[in-house]
Amino acid sequence: MALLDELSANGSNTTEGLSRLMNNASLYERLLKKLPGSVKPLEVLPHIENGDIKQAIANAHTIKGVTGNLSITPLYTAYTKITDLLRIGSIDEARNLTVETLPVQEKILTIIEKYS
Amino acid sequence: MDRLLIVDDEEINRSILIAGFADLYETVEAYNGRETLDILENSKVNAVLLDLHMPDIDGLQVLKAMKASGQIARIPVFIVTASNEDEELLDAYNLGATDVIIKPYNLQFVRQRVSNIIELYNQRHHLEDMVAEKTQELVRQNNRLVEALANIVEFRSNESGLHVKRVREITVLLMKALVDEYDEFKGLKDDIESIAFAACLHDIGKIGIPDAVLNKPGRYTPDEFETMKTHTLKGYDEIREMKDLMDPRLYEYSLDIARHHHERYDGKGYPDHLVGEDISIWSQVVALADVYDALTSERCYKKAYDNETACNMIMNGECGQFNPKVIEMFRRNIESLNSLRLSITE
Repeated sequence: MALLDELSANGSNTTEGLSRLMNNASLYERLLKKLPGSVKPLEVLPHIENGDIKQAIANAHTIKGVTGNLSITPLYTAYTKITDLLRIGSIDEARNLTVETLPVQEKILTIIEKYS
Repeated sequence: MDRLLIVDDEEINRSILIAGFADLYETVEAYNGRETLDILENSKVNAVLLDLHMPDIDGLQVLKAMKASGQIARIPVFIVTASNEDEELLDAYNLGATDVIIKPYNLQFVRQRVSNIIELYNQRHHLEDMVAEKTQELVRQNNRLVEALANIVEFRSNESGLHVKRVREITVLLMKALVDEYDEFKGLKDDIESIAFAACLHDIGKIGIPDAVLNKPGRYTPDEFETMKTHTLKGYDEIREMKDLMDPRLYEYSLDIARHHHERYDGKGYPDHLVGEDISIWSQVVALADVYDALTSERCYKKAYDNETACNMIMNGECGQFNPKVIEMFRRNIESLNSLRLSITE
């Protein structure tokens, strides 16, 4: 199975992702392969647990932006919600959602790394 | 080729935009606000795609700096953000952002929006350049007209036109010295050229003085002196007639200088007997420049004084009292003024 098919099977809207990038498949794949390197350093949970909500918001916001542009829908949807929850002060809810999202994130990044 | 600055702390976001615009513009990237400001200061940029959330200097701070430097008026800035906070986006617009592009976006739409705006800005800059060029040409024509008029007066007085040139250059030197030295005159920095050309017309009223008086080779009788003094009011009236032909700034300065270049700081001048600061600084400067050049030049009624004697006469108040600040700038620049005067010859 090719990278885009596998991501699509795991909930990403790769058709939309391609369309966002003017149907340039090679550009899309090249950018996807950079995603693990970008997202992994952006930890959110440790900052929530340390009480550094500002940094947690900044990192969640960055992941939201990158995954949105690449149409990695499960992560985009989750981090949009996490950012909003943190901003309105629903820290516990944000923490729970982050914990739920991490395995999904791990799975998606592993798929991408397999093709890198 | 137009140059597009792409600013984002996230490499993937920069890569998307670089790929999207590489065929349209030269792209240059920055990963934080500080680098962005460096690039804007040191190189030509036609538009900026600016992320809001960055460590250190963020996008709003970049906009503030661009607003403070005036760059925001010339360079369109597109905020590219995943933020959905209205207040933050309104702040960006209020600081001068041209447009907001929300992530996730469709690259084709972003290309279209950005290139449309760059084209509009380029057209606007082109029109502004054309207007500036035409304005400059009009100012040049205006100034040539002023010089020609001033020369007519000089030739009628059996002089060569060099007096006008020297008064103009002496005025420039003294005005620059005043602007550099005193805070109260700093606002005149951009007006020095207009004041200098207005100085050329200080004696335009002599056109209306009879030859028998204007070129009399000896001392004036009291009546003749009264006639001669009217050149200030005649000059004022003549310049008023030229209002529609002159640049508004040049007109205002010319009007004032023609009327008041014989006023003296102690009120003993003419025609209005103005006292002290009621006399504009430019008229006081032209007054001193006029006297200095008259003293050091030969006239039909007198020989030329040497530079030292002329300077002493001015500073001792023998030619009427001048503004102390103008006198101080004169004193500090005596050598430069003498060299300048001697450099303007036939």
